[in-house]
Formats: sequence, structure tokens, C-alpha cells
Amino acid sequence: MPEVIVPIGPHHPALKEPVNFRVIADGEKIVRLELDLSYNHRGIEKAAEQRDFIRVLPLLERVCGICSHSHSSAFAKGIEEIMQIEIPPRAQYIRTIIAELERMHSHLLWLGVAAHEIGFNTLFMWTWRDRELVQDTLEEMSGNRVHYGMNEVGGVRCDLTPHQVSTALERLPFLEERIYQYVDMVNDQQTLLLRFKGVGKLTREEVLKYGAVGPTARASGVDYDARRDDPYFVYTEVPWNVVTDTNGDVYGRTCVRIGELRESANIVRYCLENLPKGPVRVNAPKIAPEGEIFSRYEAPRGELAHFIRTNGTNKVERVDIRTPTLANWTSVAMCLVDQNLADIPVIVAAIDPCLSCTSRITLINTPGGKPGIVTFDELRKRGQTYCQEQGPP
Amino acid sequence: MTALLTLDYVAEKMKEYGTAEQVRSNRIRIRTTPERVSNAIQKALESLGCDRLITISTADNGTTFELFYHLIGPHRTVVSIAIEIPRDQPEVISMSGILSPAGIYERQIHDLFGIMFRGHPGLKKIILNEDWPADEFPLRKDWKKNPDTYYGGIKVERT
Repeated sequence: MPEVIVPIGPHHPALKEPVNFRVIADGEKIVRLELDLSYNHRGIEKAAEQRDFIRVLPLLERVCGICSHSHSSAFAKGIEEIMQIEIPPRAQYIRTIIAELERMHSHLLWLGVAAHEIGFNTLFMWTWRDRELVQDTLEEMSGNRVHYGMNEVGGVRCDLTPHQVSTALERLPFLEERIYQYVDMVNDQQTLLLRFKGVGKLTREEVLKYGAVGPTARASGVDYDARRDDPYFVYTEVPWNVVTDTNGDVYGRTCVRIGELRESANIVRYCLENLPKGPVRVNAPKIAPEGEIFSRYEAPRGELAHFIRTNGTNKVERVDIRTPTLANWTSVAMCLVDQNLADIPVIVAAIDPCLSCTSRITLINTPGGKPGIVTFDELRKRGQTYCQEQGPP
Repeated sequence: MTALLTLDYVAEKMKEYGTAEQVRSNRIRIRTTPERVSNAIQKALESLGCDRLITISTADNGTTFELFYHLIGPHRTVVSIAIEIPRDQPEVISMSGILSPAGIYERQIHDLFGIMFRGHPGLKKIILNEDWPADEFPLRKDWKKNPDTYYGGIKVERT
């Protein structure tokens, strides 16, 4: 039978973000997959070279709408190492709390999307409702649901009040109860088992060969986790475990993510209960000395790597970002071979692809109450006036 | 997880390819030449126990392009193999045969820096859109946006 090319995307109901697949199929079976990821390129690496360290963090946060804290943390910890500044323990704890809450909201979002892809919309509604609790906590702590803007070179922007800590702790038992319920569901719901088991299988050898990262790799028994391998923040002080599984299919990836939800909830609880006292930031120099750093960070989707080079000015010479999804595409293309066409959405969704989305114009309320567009200069002026009125901290 | 690699051990194993230096406790960098990079990576995979490529980082320092192949293994030490290639003849051998994940990173570097990877099976555009001019590479330091060039997207009618 001749091979048929099935184009999927860039606009397709099964895809959450624009990407173009050219699936070469023989009947119902997939022979090969070709990719085009060009629909979201925004030139952030180039733009980052033109901004100083204060302005580059908000830009890097916008690399991704879901793991925004990951990108700014990976960059901030790299730059801090080049500048040789030690950030206060309280700031380290707050960064860890935000990072783990981000992982929880990301994994809950993924569980919902995966359930939706297989037509199990009840689970989708449940996980997204529970995710709201995490989002509320993040909003209370940072003021934002998506781009938290917590990081700053030298520490974090906001401190946590005792009230924020206690409300966050109150929400955790309910979330944990729900997570246990998901563990049960994944193990006995036939709807899930039939669509997840044996689908998109990757063996341990294949994972190593194709360089998959994060939950995709850990589901095949490859226990790479940058939080343990290259410790940063307070992961050496907090008791936690790397979650692995041996199934290697979509079912295994689900188990790993649910296991990580549980670990994250424990890390958040430990950090909130043992939050040290003290300042949340130190004054960082405006200029970084010449240097080079390869900063690794475990984002919800896997290992994120920032290669940063500074040249003795207040701007970076180069920042090279390798996102976990880029590393996972090779393995997706490989594990789709010989699978059914109908399994594409769930296999692709199983790596939690994040092609990063953006909007470039800020629509907010102007002082007159009318919605309008604020230019960058206006925003800057407003910030300066606000700081002058507030006085020094 | 096994113990971290030591500088002496790596320097001994890789001495024929170049000098090793310890950048940080778990980062070791080996500088080699573009001709020997393929053998150096092969050697690192065989005798240093590295089993995966984290990424290929690229930088333009004005005179040359620098490529860093970051490898890691069960020892959890990042072994970076660094090479410099001339700007006027940006060409290097493709690693996609030895390390499959290199394929996608090389396509990305080819798009953004215009480095040719010899022997790559499909060096097609992946990051930049299909309308992007073939001879412009945005991450090169000397790249400037040309107001008369069409870079893709919706055309703006100037009246």
C-alpha cells in the first residue's frame, strides 16, 4: 500500500499550541514523523542580549507560560553564580516553594489535558478544578497566576506573610487527598488503562539513545533529575525522592507525574513549615564579571539548560536556552513509529509539549479607566514615579 | 548515580584530544579541534561512561563560532567538549549518526547561526519560518534587521 502524508497542524483541534506534523502513514500505522516548530519563534535569545539583568528576567519568564518560574530561576541562579553572590536562605526556600507549586499546577494541567485527549472529560474537569487551588496559592504569594515575577538577581521580589503561609498550608491536605484519589483512578479506571497502557512505549535504552528528559525519561527507569544530580535551591535540605517507573508507556508517565505531585506537595509543606527568618534578597551588582555558566534546572517537563556567557557589562553576551520539549521531540518521533494514527494526540500530549505562547501587547486599564495600550516608556515612567512615591525600601 | 568524575581521570582519558579544565565541581570542559570532535565524543561515550547529550550550545564571539557539546552520564558530571570553527567557513561534521538527539539541535543551530553540519540527514528549517531569507542568520552578532527584507508573517502595506 502506498504511503500517505497526513498533515496535522499548525491549527488543529487536537493541538494546544501551533506545531506542524507531517505524519507519513501506511494505512492506520505511522511510518515516520516530520516536524516544523517555527510557528512560535519570537527571538527571545536575541532580545535577551540587548537587555540588562533587571529587564532580562521578565523577558525570560515569558519564554513559557507554564514553567515561567523555571526559566527565570535557571537564569538567576546562573548569573548569581557568575557574580559570586550568595542569596539568603529565606529566598532559597521561597524560590523552592514557587518552583514546586509550579510543578504541581503544571502536572495537574497535564493530567487534565491527557484525560481530555482520550475523551475522559470528567477527569479533565476535576484536575483543573483542583489546579485552581494551586493557582490561588500562587496568586496570593506573587500577585499573578501565570508569570509570577518572583525572581530577582539576588533573591526574590516578595516576602511571604504568615497569613499566606497558613492559608497555603490549609489547602495542602485537600490537594493531597485529591492526589491519592487520582492514584486510585489511574490504577482502576478502565477508560484510562485501555488508552494509556502499552501506548507510546520507550525502553530504557531508547530513552538514553534519543535523549528524552523529565517524566518521559523517568517513566522508563532513567533516573535523571537535575534537582538531585546538580542540587540547587534547598533540595539537599528537604527530604524528597526521585519518582521513577518501569512501564515506559503513557501509563508510566502518568504514574510518574502523579508521584511527583505527591513529592511536590511534601516539599511545599516542608518548606512552608521550616521557612527560615531573615531578608529575602541581597543587593546584587549591576554588572557581572566575564564568565560562563551552564545552568541546569529541573522544570516540570524535564531538564532545562541555560548556557549563559557574560562579558563584563550589565548585559549578557549570549544566553542559549534548551527547553525540555525540544529534547523530547526526538523520542516522540521515534515512539510514534508503528503506532495507530488515533494515538497521536495522547502520545504527543504525554511529553507535555510546551511550544510556548505569547502575546505582545499589554492591554490594561489606564488611569482614566479606559482600556488602552501602554508603551514600554510609559510603563517605565509609571514604575519610576511609583518607586519615588514609595521611598527606599 | 556513581561518584563524580575527577579532572585527572578525564584529562588522562582524553589527553590525545586536548586539555581538560575543571569549570565547577561537576563541570569539566575539554577544548579540542573541529577535526577531532567526532572522535573525542566517541571516546567520551566509550571510556568516560557518558550516555547522553544534554544540548549543543553555541556562541558567536566575533571572530569564531564556539560549539559546546554537553555530555552527561551516570556519574552526573557534565563533560563539555568545546570547539571553535571559523566564521568564514562555518562547517563541522554532524553528530547525528552517533548521538540521535544531536540531529534536532543541529537543525536549530543551522537555522540561527548558519553553521553547516556535514552528513546531517535532513538539515531543514525547524525554528525559523519558511519565509525567512536563506542567507540571514539572526543570532550572529553582526546580523541587523534589513528594513527592505520580508521576514515572513503578515505583510504591512506602507502608504
